[in-house]
Amino acid sequence: MNKNINPAAIGTRQPRLDGAVKVSGRALFTDDVRPAGMLHGKILRSRHKHARIVRLDTSKAEALPGVKAVITAADAKGIYATQNEPVICGTVTRYIGEELAAVAAIDEATAARALELIEIEYEVLPSVTTIKDSLKPGAPQVDPGIPGNIVSDNVDEYGETDKAFAEADFVFEDKFVTRPTHNLFAEYHVCVADFSRPDKLEIWTPTQTAYLFQHSFARAFKLSLNQVRIVHLHTGGAFSGRGSVRPHHYIAALLSRKARRPVKVFASGDEEFLVCRTLGDNEYRLRTAVDKDGTVRAIDVEATLDGGGQGHALGYFGWMVGLCMSWIMDLQGIRFRRRVVLTNQRPNFLGHGGMMIGTNAGLMQQLQRIAAELGMDPMDLLLKNAIEAGHHGMTGEHFASCGLKECLEKVREASGWNDKYGKLPKWHGIGVSMGSMAAGARGAFKHDTSAAMVKVGEDGLVTVYTGIPDMGQGTHTTMAMIAAEVLGIQPSAVRLIAGDTDSTPVDVGAFAQRGTIMTGNAVKNAAMDARAQLARNAADLLGVPEADLEFAGGRIFVRGTDPDAGQTANEGVAPGTRSAKASDPKAAATSGEKPTSVSFAKIAYGSLHSKEGRFVMGRGFYTTPVDYGTAAWSFGAQVAEVKVDPETGEVKVLKVWVAHDCGRAINPLAIEGQIDGQVYSAMSQVLYEECETDEGQYLNPSRLEYKMPRTYEMPEVEYILVETNDPYGPFGAKEVGEGPIVVAGGAIAAAVSNAMGTFLPEIPMTSYKVWREITRNAKRKKGRKAA
Amino acid sequence: MLLPQHTYHRPDSLAECLDKLAHLDAGSVEGADRLARVQVIAGGTDVIFNMRLRLFQPENLVSIRSLPELQQVETLADGSLRIGAACRLIDLADNPLVCDRYPALKSAIDAVASVHIRNIGTLGGNICLETRCWYTNNSEEWRKGRAGCFKTDCEQCHVIPSSHTCHAINNADTPLALIALDAVLTIQSAGGQREVPIADFYRPDGIEHMDLRAGELLTHVTIPPCTDRTVFIKFTPRRGMDFSLGAVAARCDGTGQDAKKVSIVIGSISTAPVVLDAPCRLLEKQGLSDRAIAGAVAAIRDEMGEVTNLYGRATYKKQIAKTLVRRALVALREQR
Amino acid sequence: MAKHIMSIDVNGDRHEFAVDDTDTLLDVIRNQIGLTGTKRGCTTGSCGVCTINNDKGESILSCLTHALEWDGESITTIEGLEADGELDAIQAAFVEFGAVQCGFCTPGVIMSAKALLNKYPEPTEEQINEGLAGVLCRCTGHIKVKEAIRNDFLIRRERIRRALAGNAS
Repeated sequence: MNKNINPAAIGTRQPRLDGAVKVSGRALFTDDVRPAGMLHGKILRSRHKHARIVRLDTSKAEALPGVKAVITAADAKGIYATQNEPVICGTVTRYIGEELAAVAAIDEATAARALELIEIEYEVLPSVTTIKDSLKPGAPQVDPGIPGNIVSDNVDEYGETDKAFAEADFVFEDKFVTRPTHNLFAEYHVCVADFSRPDKLEIWTPTQTAYLFQHSFARAFKLSLNQVRIVHLHTGGAFSGRGSVRPHHYIAALLSRKARRPVKVFASGDEEFLVCRTLGDNEYRLRTAVDKDGTVRAIDVEATLDGGGQGHALGYFGWMVGLCMSWIMDLQGIRFRRRVVLTNQRPNFLGHGGMMIGTNAGLMQQLQRIAAELGMDPMDLLLKNAIEAGHHGMTGEHFASCGLKECLEKVREASGWNDKYGKLPKWHGIGVSMGSMAAGARGAFKHDTSAAMVKVGEDGLVTVYTGIPDMGQGTHTTMAMIAAEVLGIQPSAVRLIAGDTDSTPVDVGAFAQRGTIMTGNAVKNAAMDARAQLARNAADLLGVPEADLEFAGGRIFVRGTDPDAGQTANEGVAPGTRSAKASDPKAAATSGEKPTSVSFAKIAYGSLHSKEGRFVMGRGFYTTPVDYGTAAWSFGAQVAEVKVDPETGEVKVLKVWVAHDCGRAINPLAIEGQIDGQVYSAMSQVLYEECETDEGQYLNPSRLEYKMPRTYEMPEVEYILVETNDPYGPFGAKEVGEGPIVVAGGAIAAAVSNAMGTFLPEIPMTSYKVWREITRNAKRKKGRKAA
Repeated sequence: MLLPQHTYHRPDSLAECLDKLAHLDAGSVEGADRLARVQVIAGGTDVIFNMRLRLFQPENLVSIRSLPELQQVETLADGSLRIGAACRLIDLADNPLVCDRYPALKSAIDAVASVHIRNIGTLGGNICLETRCWYTNNSEEWRKGRAGCFKTDCEQCHVIPSSHTCHAINNADTPLALIALDAVLTIQSAGGQREVPIADFYRPDGIEHMDLRAGELLTHVTIPPCTDRTVFIKFTPRRGMDFSLGAVAARCDGTGQDAKKVSIVIGSISTAPVVLDAPCRLLEKQGLSDRAIAGAVAAIRDEMGEVTNLYGRATYKKQIAKTLVRRALVALREQR
Repeated sequence: MAKHIMSIDVNGDRHEFAVDDTDTLLDVIRNQIGLTGTKRGCTTGSCGVCTINNDKGESILSCLTHALEWDGESITTIEGLEADGELDAIQAAFVEFGAVQCGFCTPGVIMSAKALLNKYPEPTEEQINEGLAGVLCRCTGHIKVKEAIRNDFLIRRERIRRALAGNAS
């Protein structure tokens, strides 16, 4: 076996290829960017939760030396974030923090001073800050065009839900709420815009989707798509929080257009909690119909979602409250209704895990409770109902690959479930959860295509071009590994160009878990195309059929021969040092040998210098081969073990066992990292994170008072990767970017519920709420004993 | 959240510093006016934070971080330990004179915020920590979203709307141990110096929470020798990082269940540390049996004062206080 | 607005420049000196992305300290960890053990880890937790960060071994 043949890239623990620049401080993020002449923008934000703007006078701000632009609603006419959220409000403000005006100045201090000089008078209007108040008859209207404050009220139903409920042996019902959160990525919201030329808008900002951002800006400013350039440098986390253009992005562009200079807008301090769009207060009622043998017949979910001052984006994703439950169990029927309600609070959207983490937390607790009532082990209940490969879902899904049962069985064994469930000491709990996550989302957006290019330069070096952002999940390294696998080279030998819509091919973006499966397939197709071009030329040169060729170690060789044969000393080194003899395909023949092996460099250089003058550039694209939805789902199961301190309500998560069917583990190191972060975030959302609200304001808008756990709180995590080799995924791979967090939320909630002996009425269950629940339970039990 | 405009001064000696404070503070009245004139900065972790929030907008910042007179940790003739106010918390935590002689103080120091903060924060800074409230400790822009309060510019409290005083909480950790250890503060000014037992230093007022007058500077902390059993426990939502939701320092003499002198201090439930009375007297009479401890814990209720919903529900904070007191007493009993 | 001239040693280079009274050490590092590896985050000391090391190799939150306090002092930023083109052992460990994802907190986490290892070259779990509790890391949950820290001394030992082997031959 020749030393140059590298082991297959897929499946190796590959340290991320941008690791060195990140650990050395060289990696640039948007706040590090300072185009020449850049101004600093600041936004005047509403200080009332509901008020008419009676007077707005910016003249003193405009007159301040150093101020180069001041904008108000008049400058932003016709520009909306989401469907009808004006990016600068001019009439009636609906929530504290809404954008009312903005300035750009030569430095931050001047911009801050300019804001202070803007004169504004409000007429305060009655307001509502809770779902309950918002739905009361006669409640103040948040939006005069939305009567009753209900933005949308949709029901989806599949199968025969009512019939199932009527026929089932038992019906269980539970209610719970989830509280507002923040995605809490490390990098604060920031945008640099250069609109100094009217025909080209350049934007630097962290994003999950440069492509949708391009569309949004183009539509807003009536530009053609490619007159908008989105540059996403390194992105400091996204977690569903950077998927759409926000008012501050548009404001940066408007300021830049007016000032004719680049402008940076940076969310400072608690402003960060105003510009993010995460989950709000959501209320759920979960009804499940089940037979006494444990068969889950049907699920009926009713959700009321707080959309804040603008509810429109949220309604679009309301399916999350129920549909995913039908991806894991063979149901007779499912119905999910979601009402989106307006309140005078910050507009809400999704967090990491969407709304699915909340609903899974509710469902898994409920299934555990059902199991107890039926005298069953919850693990057996889940196994009984879990779907298998080949199952057809309720909206026409075909689950071609599914390792759900295998995941359950593996965490059962790894965690020692059978020795623990029902046998742990008081205040210790164990819980099991399962889940599924769709990878890709055709029909959700304009299209769902990812495209890629793979260039093989005349020096033999391979470059992948992709439009997908890497927000930390390791997508770029995964793409390099896929290209490396196809071409038989080391991943570290692959250069990757991304982050600039001017130079990369189309890619809808990194959300809906598209990265691995959509972009991965696109990169694979492009690499296959490049490989085919190389193979055709190599076949000509070596005088053998293409089918006889192998790719390994950066060389193309006839199967069964020595890959290194004919390799000259200066092959694979920097261009310009190669001798004419080595680079001339004919030279080897003249020297009397028939070559059996050739380097990429030789082929690429040779084909460029041939009569045809052909350049080697592979192209590929991919979209889901179904009309709507996705073609592949990941599956997972987890067990969590916890310990509760009944005096203080503190919950210590001791360990989480994670089994994840990712189809194929392209990079186990990165997958483990994803699992770590998602167990962490699930734990954080189930036990810690909560925006404390009072009268339309968050009381804890800081990394200090918004409690995301740190080092001491992390549990031990054990990973079990299950590979089911999906027929659609590149090399069988599916997703890992959001599946585990949903399952983890369920496992931790179920474990805490098990420890406390009660259904958790609210998420997060902070230590205060755990203690409160324990105290209430004790009183209830005392009451029952006394009665 | 930029720092407000101010003038930065760095005096070279304590004398020069006190002269400067007197000069800069001259003619100012107590309270908000004084705070607006001059602010002393040592490590700055609290001052810079509050300046960014525009809770302080002093015209002058006077740096005492490097004043040579405030850096020493020395044993006095009577065995007391005298600590300069500008000593870094991290240095004190590693200093055997502190660790060996006053383990409860070491626990309290180790519990302050994070290592990062302790690498610049000072003992004096922690003793003089500004009181906190989530209605004020957010940015100036945030505060515009509602009417002001006693601490900012108007006569009301958002925590207890009917109240006539400010209910901001004192979250500092080291004062609790220092109170239990009967520490004495040296406060100097250009006009002289005075010694104040730290137990008398705090006032139950969220705004004027310290006995510190215009032109004065806390320079030293002197701790008498202590051979008693002591303990410090802190409860936080996240370890190694947060202000406490409740903290307790406790001290008793004797061994086992025997104790003739008991003191217990509770922090983070009020505008000032709460020094318990009746529960301690009960324990001094009955010793540290489980029953006596339960009785003492029950008796805390009447001395906790008005516990608010600030940073956590009042019922929960009381529960935490009771739990920590119980655990502290059990820990004392088991020390020897 | 009063301006002062101050000087500070950053990563072994002496810099002299003008500062305002309102500048913090973070402002000076990113603006006057132009090193952007140290990040701007919460600016109130609770996220840790602005962490640098002082001359004792301790972790310092540069957003929370007045620039003028550091006149004449010496600091190390993330850019100063590598030597002779080679990453420091802790930096190499972060890459090798998957402790980097989005990378935004990474400079602050690494400087905190470096400070920890300066004090405790083979730290216990408790020491690791304490040393890193002041920095957030949203992507990794700190799990692989801790693993990288645990393996730092192995990497150092291997480098010394290689260097000695190189000298011996």
